[in-house]
Amino acid sequence: MLLFTAALAAVPFISAKADDDRAHILKVYNWADYIDEDLIPEFEQWYKENTGEEVHVLYQTFDINEVMLTKIETGHEDYDVVCPSEYIIERMLKNDLLLPLDRNFGSVPDYTVNVSPFAVEKFDEMSASGRRASDYAVGFMWGTTGIMYNKAFVKKEEAQTWGILWDPKYEGKILMKDAVRDVYGSLMMYIRQDEIRSGRVTRQHVMNDASDASLKIFEDTMLCAKKNFAGWEVDFGKERMVQGKAWANITWSGDAMWALDEVGDEIDLDYVVPVEGSNVWFDGWVIPKYAKNVKAANWFINFMCTSENAIRNMDAIGYVSVIGTPEVLAYKIDESLDETVDLTYFFGEGADSVKVNSIQYPDAKTIERCALMHDAGNRTEAMLDMWSRIKGDSLHSATIIIIGLVIAVIIVFAVMKALGKNKKAKRRANAKKTSSRR
Amino acid sequence: MMKKFLAKSYLYVLLLVLYAPIAIIILFSFTNSKTIGDWRGFSLDLYSNLLSGQAAHSATITQAVLNTLIIAVTAATLSMFLGSIAAVGIFNIRNRKVRKAIQFANNIPMINPDIITGISLFLLFVSLGISGGYVTVVLAHIAFCTPYVVLSVMPRLTRMNPNIYEAALDLGATPFQAFRKVIVPEIKPGMVSGFILAFTLSIDDFAVTLFTKGSDGLETLSTYIYADARKGGLTPELRCLAAIIFLTVLILLLIINRRSRLNKEQ
Amino acid sequence: MNLTKLVQKRSNWVAPYVLFLVLFVVLPLLLIAVYAFRNPAGQFTVQNFVKFATQSEALSTFVYSVGIAIITTLLCILLGYPAAYILASSQFNRSRTMVLLFILPMWINVLMRSLATVALFDFLHLPLGEGALIFGLVYDFLPFMIYPIYNTIQKIDKSYIEAARDLGATNRQVFTRVIWPLSIPGIISGIMMVFLPTISTFAISEILTLNNKRLFGSIIQDNMMMSDTMNYGAALSLIMLVIIAITSAVSGDDSDLSEGGLI
Repeated sequence: MLLFTAALAAVPFISAKADDDRAHILKVYNWADYIDEDLIPEFEQWYKENTGEEVHVLYQTFDINEVMLTKIETGHEDYDVVCPSEYIIERMLKNDLLLPLDRNFGSVPDYTVNVSPFAVEKFDEMSASGRRASDYAVGFMWGTTGIMYNKAFVKKEEAQTWGILWDPKYEGKILMKDAVRDVYGSLMMYIRQDEIRSGRVTRQHVMNDASDASLKIFEDTMLCAKKNFAGWEVDFGKERMVQGKAWANITWSGDAMWALDEVGDEIDLDYVVPVEGSNVWFDGWVIPKYAKNVKAANWFINFMCTSENAIRNMDAIGYVSVIGTPEVLAYKIDESLDETVDLTYFFGEGADSVKVNSIQYPDAKTIERCALMHDAGNRTEAMLDMWSRIKGDSLHSATIIIIGLVIAVIIVFAVMKALGKNKKAKRRANAKKTSSRR
Repeated sequence: MMKKFLAKSYLYVLLLVLYAPIAIIILFSFTNSKTIGDWRGFSLDLYSNLLSGQAAHSATITQAVLNTLIIAVTAATLSMFLGSIAAVGIFNIRNRKVRKAIQFANNIPMINPDIITGISLFLLFVSLGISGGYVTVVLAHIAFCTPYVVLSVMPRLTRMNPNIYEAALDLGATPFQAFRKVIVPEIKPGMVSGFILAFTLSIDDFAVTLFTKGSDGLETLSTYIYADARKGGLTPELRCLAAIIFLTVLILLLIINRRSRLNKEQ
Repeated sequence: MNLTKLVQKRSNWVAPYVLFLVLFVVLPLLLIAVYAFRNPAGQFTVQNFVKFATQSEALSTFVYSVGIAIITTLLCILLGYPAAYILASSQFNRSRTMVLLFILPMWINVLMRSLATVALFDFLHLPLGEGALIFGLVYDFLPFMIYPIYNTIQKIDKSYIEAARDLGATNRQVFTRVIWPLSIPGIISGIMMVFLPTISTFAISEILTLNNKRLFGSIIQDNMMMSDTMNYGAALSLIMLVIIAITSAVSGDDSDLSEGGLI
């Protein structure tokens, strides 16, 4: 008893102690593999130098947007800075889950102005409930969704279309990204390509149309493609591509870049954004309503926006920073490349034909066929249900029947056994009665 | 003779299959390659990376191992005491129905798969507004470990002379003294085996920890490996860690085994 | 004064544990039921169960998991019983070390073991999927089948066997009439340790099939992780609880697990 009361008494004590420390802790919740981890201790030091305050970063990662959202929306977890995708930011704005940013850093410059106007403009499309998105969010990384493929098994022409998913040649060889929104939006552009080409619908509409009809077409089409899937991945696809264990991977540009950097000489990988279109996405830093260290959170966001830190993050993770300064452009130009890309949309005038890696910075033409995702609102659940139906459907009806029969037999057996026991017990009871009567 | 040979070889074949995956991990801990199956010559680089703290996530791995041990020791110790005292209590309950009910409740955590235990406790902590951390994980581990302690202590009590405790009280001992001086020595072997069982269960647990660890970045070895697996397989240095853990457990078990045999012979 | 009296009575010593059980075992399970009958807004609803019954996905995964669990359990009995029998019979095996070798894998983290299985399959260039899943599950759970069976066979009073022999029973009869019936509690414990965890496993199936084949545990976990679907997840957990209740009822109402050689 003593022991137990002691244990219970310890609970408030420990949490009280934690509260005391909280002012010096910054809880960062970011995508897995999404930062140069050396920057974390450097931030702690930089923060101390400029504000005189100690801060310790608690760094945690997630790999599915919706999981992160749940922790904040339902769990009211007190993360100080999180890095969701744009459509989640829209939803968080709608549901009043964010705090506005404070861009006043005293003598330290506001580095958030380094973000390319292109990214700011895209973020502002996410404004909701009368809140301008760029007042609440600062971009971090951006990219496209496309197909990474192993050149030994897949030809470029084949990878240039989403149609590869239905090509019987690739049975069990394609890894699918477990990200419903990205895959849904991109593949709907393939499914409805005729309508888009004839101008009857816009790409933006196709990507975000979550009507029952649209969901149904997608589900049916995807089920036909399922034979080709080697598996569903959130993070391990790049790893298996590098090992040469899968032929193609529906993935994000940054993962592809990471794999291309990592892969040995014996395997040759490439990445394309299919011609039918795809999605362009942006992840950004926001401060949730339940944050407890708002000041350090703002400073952390600012720290991530210097050109130097943007370049270091890019080098570490393969994704592309939204920072659009000349320094970043100068660093990214690689004269050894053959092709040039038009990046005026991102770096402004003078970047109309620069030698920059086109997986990281897609050409203006590629961007034209990409659309932005929006929060699906109350259709989210229907969409998630549809997605788990596609993932979960791994049964043939014959197997169901056989398994059902086995289960039935077991239940019958169990019932008979239980009845038998009862009978036995009754018999025993009867026997006792008779014996006592005697 | 033939029969004996067949029986023996069956055991060996089964062992071979059981140990093949572990053997491969240990084998490839001695080569510096990112993936298993890619042999790049014998090297101890991975071990030196792990032990010198140069591996990519060394600090996190060390912290995770430490957390695992702290949680296991705390949870096992607390459940040992809670379970032993409870066992004495249950043993002395005269009312059969009450006793059955408590034993039934005691069995629940053992029968429940860990995901159910994890989810139920997750809902409890969410409803009470307690944020996860060491405390919640330890409480959760106590919840599924204690029943095993109760079960390992019970048989010892049946062998005990029920009157010594009363005698001790009559001679002026407080209940606590009587427990410490009279009951504990009798049930000690049961307590120890209960502790060992609780310790291993806690170390091996994954699902319950995952649901109760909260958001303060608490990672145990299992949750770390899970996060790692989602990213595409083991960090190379974890192969060394697996090898080290395996050999440690193997040696410990062999020593315990030899000791108990020597004791018996004496 | 009153307190000392309370403490003196040994049956009262159970009080802290009962309090603990109520708080951390019974109450949480009740909470699953509460959440299962609620929508995200907190109102009463049976919608979650309607969804389970009408949505092909959860139902088919459920049936599939039960099927995989039956196969795994049968394979574990098939492979584990002979091993346990050989280990326990003095005729074939006198070494405790041999027994330890069979239990040793239990001390290696289950995820580590699953990843090792993936490594093995990759190494042998075998595809990951259903085959790998069943191999991995049997590999992970076999020790949990062998150990209780071994324990019960070992505890069988040798005089029964001698008596049977004296009465003229053949080896075969000794096995079918004496050893097998007496080892059934061990098999039941083994089934409990293998069948239920297989249905509700999630990490193992994710690792061994690259998320391609999902077991019921994965669906529960997926739903628990998101706020929109947490109540549905609780409903699925409640269904799992019902299965547990049925399984325990089938395996006999004698509630003393220690008889089954679990410890």
